[in-house]
Amino acid sequence: MPDTDVDTFADFIATQVLDPWKGPKKVPAEEYYTSGHRTCQGCESAQLMKLMAKAGGPRSIVLGATGCMYVANTTYYSTPWAIPWMHTQLGSAGSAATGTAAGLKAMMRKGKMKKEPINIIAVCGDGGGADMGLSAISAALQHTQYNLLILLYDNESYANTDIQVSGSSPWGANSTFSPPGKVKRIMNRRWKKNTAAMLASGHPECRYVATVCTAYPVDAMNSVRKALSIGGPTFVHSLDPCPKGWDYDPMYSHELGELAVETGIWPLYEVEEGKLKMCGKSKRIVSGQFKRKPVREYLRRQGRFAHFTDEDIEYFQSKIDDMWEKWLIPGVIPFAAP
Amino acid sequence: MSTGSVEVIYRGIFQKTLAKNICRGIVLAARREGKIGIAFGRYGDSPERNGIPAKQFAVVSDNSEELEEHLAKYEPDNNDVTIVVDDALCKGVESWAWYGLQPINKLLADGGTLVVTSTQSANKLIKTVHCKGAPYNLAIVKSPASFSGLWVYKDDHTDVRLLGALTKVAPQIVSLESMLEAIKEQWKDDLKVASAKKAYNAVESTPVGADQGNDEVPFSFDLPGWTKMEEGLVIRGMDAKPQDVPGRDGGYVPTRNETFKKFSTRTMRPVINFDTCTKCTLCWLNCPDTCFDITPDGFYDANMEACCGCGVCEAVCPVNECVTMVNEEAFENHDSQWEMWGKDKEGYLAWLSEKITHLPARSHGFHHVGQYAEEIADDPA
Repeated sequence: MPDTDVDTFADFIATQVLDPWKGPKKVPAEEYYTSGHRTCQGCESAQLMKLMAKAGGPRSIVLGATGCMYVANTTYYSTPWAIPWMHTQLGSAGSAATGTAAGLKAMMRKGKMKKEPINIIAVCGDGGGADMGLSAISAALQHTQYNLLILLYDNESYANTDIQVSGSSPWGANSTFSPPGKVKRIMNRRWKKNTAAMLASGHPECRYVATVCTAYPVDAMNSVRKALSIGGPTFVHSLDPCPKGWDYDPMYSHELGELAVETGIWPLYEVEEGKLKMCGKSKRIVSGQFKRKPVREYLRRQGRFAHFTDEDIEYFQSKIDDMWEKWLIPGVIPFAAP
Repeated sequence: MSTGSVEVIYRGIFQKTLAKNICRGIVLAARREGKIGIAFGRYGDSPERNGIPAKQFAVVSDNSEELEEHLAKYEPDNNDVTIVVDDALCKGVESWAWYGLQPINKLLADGGTLVVTSTQSANKLIKTVHCKGAPYNLAIVKSPASFSGLWVYKDDHTDVRLLGALTKVAPQIVSLESMLEAIKEQWKDDLKVASAKKAYNAVESTPVGADQGNDEVPFSFDLPGWTKMEEGLVIRGMDAKPQDVPGRDGGYVPTRNETFKKFSTRTMRPVINFDTCTKCTLCWLNCPDTCFDITPDGFYDANMEACCGCGVCEAVCPVNECVTMVNEEAFENHDSQWEMWGKDKEGYLAWLSEKITHLPARSHGFHHVGQYAEEIADDPA
């Protein structure tokens, strides 16, 4: 047996034990992210911050990479956070999380602070996480001696700077960088990055990777709680409908999240200790109990797809069909079976 | 030597393109008269957020020195005209933290004209707008607020109607003739030219006295100077303990950011029928602004100082006729609905039913492809 105890510098620190909440009525009243943030009406990323802070509880530290959830939550010398929060650079959610975990561990080892489990959560947007910060997140997920969570809030564009294309933007979506024109209608020709599955399959030592959606708040909170309890670095990827960049009436924020899952565009799953489990409606899609809704229902509700022709919608549908019918692991791993 | 400036106050993102069309239209028309000008957005509003009040300006001048002098200001004051493209903004605007509630006519020059798109009467609007302390004029362009989004523009001619009306109330900035030529050149659409002309003929100004209007003193803050700020850009967080509110023992009222209430973002507000409420928690759980206070008897009371009116609570409520979004123009205060209900249940129900008649709710952005074309076709105007 080789020496697997690589963590020779520090004592093992157990995580907090955060049991899942069984249903919305069991969710406690305490808020650690309150009102007075300068987000859009119907901002699902703000909703995710609220859920995450609730799920983590008072002994949590949040590190926020640049993005909406940095700028809007620290407007002019004020904040809605009731737990410590620190800004970090756009691409460095992973490094900030590892550094904070290492720092706390060292302080506790040296007796400079009480030895106790503290949740470390680094939040980043799809630009900060799936594009710029991907390498730092990858590094963080390899350092298995630190307990931390990287929470990626994905609103499918650089929304803070007024909607530029990111690697997570869907095919064909209108954005500042991909405005449809008369000659070329589809300007973003990249397919959305499969970030969570990439990180799960690329970091087999990482004990928990999950996708969530704010339309299912209790499930999202329980994923965060499991990620914080299980130990080691973990990753949760949330799809957050964005009324500004997706261009829809803010009252549909919740409904569009549900539609993303029900059309099969956003699969919900978790990879726990190397075992894949499909969740919620996505599980029922795979088992055949739930028939995927046509993507048209989702696309035509959003101004960012208003230029789509029937042909474009059919193409989009065919890519989603492939994802559930041809992928090696439906909704998760895209290779064809050998 | 003369300079004219126009302020356009609008809802972030929802009316960004509309405001841009207005400011750009003014400058392009003025250029036809040999003037120079610039249209620009206020720096602090960027990045804009859905619904949060924002401003754009158009400044035109016959000489570059005066134009530059205007541009050296953070936001031009003493504007000849303030255009308000959503009448709900007449209650005042709060664009970011520490900003306080700015009266809609604050940056309007004495004797200037406030142009508002509204279906309300001048008398009703004057009562809403804060008292200026100096006389000014109010002109109404009869129209509901025109909302769209970042990508799909609702071209219902609100932009050119306001441009036409502007040349009536402030001919010194630009003449109707130049404006019509600029509109024709810009949009190449005779219908838009006709709309502008029609609005020019229809708009009328009402003089507003120095002491007329809402006498509420809008809340404001003393800004912390650099000597009061802490090292390392530290901002004190919210208290994790809930607020201690009399009569709310056993409930939960979260601490709230005192320097940014954000309610001027709201164009609709939820009214709640506590008699039909099943306490299912969904409005509270799904509110992105954490605006619901939990009451001692387990209800969820939307706090009107924190609610920004997105409408998610109505969308997720599983009960028919429990949460209903109502046009903000129907309300004059931010009082707790749960407290009203507690004092007089029948009276509350009557109040609630009366408020709900202020439907249909306002158009709040994009619903589906083709919707704006349908709405414009349905509009008798």
